[in-house]
Amino acid sequence: MIDFENVSKTYPNGIHALYDVNLHIDKGEFVFIVGASGAGKSTFLKLIMHEETPSNGEITIAGKKISKLKRKEVPYLRRHMGIVFQDFRLIDKMTVFDNVAFAMRAVGENTATIKKRVPYVLSLVGLSDKGKRKPSELSGGEQQRVSLARALVNNPEIIIADEPTGNVDPELSHEIIELLTEINSMGTTVLVVTHEHELVREFNHRVIKIDHGRVVDDTSKDNISDDYDDIKNYDDSDDYAELKQFSDDISVASTDE
Amino acid sequence: MKGFGYLVKEGLKNVWVNRIMSIASICVLVSCLVLTGSATLFSVNVSEMVDQVGQNNETTVYIKDGYSQLDAVYIGKEIEKISNVNSVTFYSKDDAILQFKNQLGDELFSQIDEDKNPLPDAFIVVMDDLEKYDETVAEIQKIDGVDSVLNRRDFAEKLTNISHMVNIIAIGIVIVLVVISLFIIANTIRATMYSRRFEISIMKSVGATNSFVRMPFLVEGMLIGLISAAISVGGLALLYEGISQVFVTTNIPFDFIPFTNVLLPVVASFVVAGMFVGFAGSFLSIRKYLKMEGNEILGW
Repeated sequence: MIDFENVSKTYPNGIHALYDVNLHIDKGEFVFIVGASGAGKSTFLKLIMHEETPSNGEITIAGKKISKLKRKEVPYLRRHMGIVFQDFRLIDKMTVFDNVAFAMRAVGENTATIKKRVPYVLSLVGLSDKGKRKPSELSGGEQQRVSLARALVNNPEIIIADEPTGNVDPELSHEIIELLTEINSMGTTVLVVTHEHELVREFNHRVIKIDHGRVVDDTSKDNISDDYDDIKNYDDSDDYAELKQFSDDISVASTDE
Repeated sequence: MKGFGYLVKEGLKNVWVNRIMSIASICVLVSCLVLTGSATLFSVNVSEMVDQVGQNNETTVYIKDGYSQLDAVYIGKEIEKISNVNSVTFYSKDDAILQFKNQLGDELFSQIDEDKNPLPDAFIVVMDDLEKYDETVAEIQKIDGVDSVLNRRDFAEKLTNISHMVNIIAIGIVIVLVVISLFIIANTIRATMYSRRFEISIMKSVGATNSFVRMPFLVEGMLIGLISAAISVGGLALLYEGISQVFVTTNIPFDFIPFTNVLLPVVASFVVAGMFVGFAGSFLSIRKYLKMEGNEILGW
């Protein structure tokens, strides 16, 4: 479903966000992506969503090679995935029903289909009776479930949740992951980016750890790159030394001018 | 396209939600259209008049003051002798004053009695061949006692010159106004897009195509154009009627083309032009937006 082959990403400002990432996520898998902030998780997601393109390597999503994708095809690639944001991104002037329906309207679904599909998806996330409410009238956990319903409504093959529990009470975090697990059991591939290790430990799902732009741990052993041990024994201090050198170079360069 | 009705509805909503900016856009576009329309109608009327003048083989020849009506009869005989002249009809100053009285009312001329009539006697001369108009006028003017010939060609020429000048000035102003309209509409649409950036970012994340994201904004722009066109047609009609009314009351003999005759082309061109400017304005401002993704749109 998702394939990264020697993927690196360097931003135009010189920041190396990802180094030589190799990984494979199968259809129907549930994967946690963990790592400290700035480790490269959001770049990883942006690459999957095609908000960014890799500097090197090849990404294949749902059988489509990203490098061969035309601009026009990007929206259709995104229809393979539903995205759940940490901040929910619900439109507050719309009702819960309309927020979910909006995702269907955006891809040009007709009203009859929308009227049938939205109540079904709302019932999946346990919000059947909240359709006429405004998002601001709901609790954080409920809002996140609306966001999840919106991600699900177009029946995507992949659900990508970016810190879905970040703005939700701890006791509700568990509930959200459970809901995602349930969706996963229906055949949808689920990717959850989080930094809540506690939560990850509670569920027995595959965990991919990203650190300093590299995949440093993957509980699915067969996916670990050959230089796994090198990475595991990777010493952070080297990085800092390198960084220090880099910033020194910059300051030298700027004083030269 | 699927969901077309929804997109049109969204566009209509945008115009209303953003009404201050919409009104500003409409005002500028209306002045643009009314000005273009006025200049065009002016030149159409002038060229129509010039055509009529060209086809009219009647010319008025005025007799010098101090010549009696008897003298005038001789002058008329002289004119008749000219080969290109078909007929000569005497038009006395008494007739002239009577006609003025009929047209403008008695009160205005109540002070003027038969002895104090300031108008000259005249002949209405009809020519055979308009090709020889200028030569014939020259010959008439050689006759002793002829004061002046109302040369309608000169009048036509002057009108055409004025019309050309008006056209040039109008084109200049219209170009400036079109640029301003485009700018204001583009800004109006940009404001709408800013207020809807959240929706746009979600649309993009769920895989809405660019043309789908664009549609409500194009509808908004075109609707602004359409409303402007409707207001402009009404405005131009009022202006036109008003000006022709002024011409009638001041008795300037200018035959206006009835507005109903030009209504259809005016409506058609206003609608096309208004919607085009609206469309172009929207299109320009969306282009930059569509290249952005997720957080860039939201400015986070």
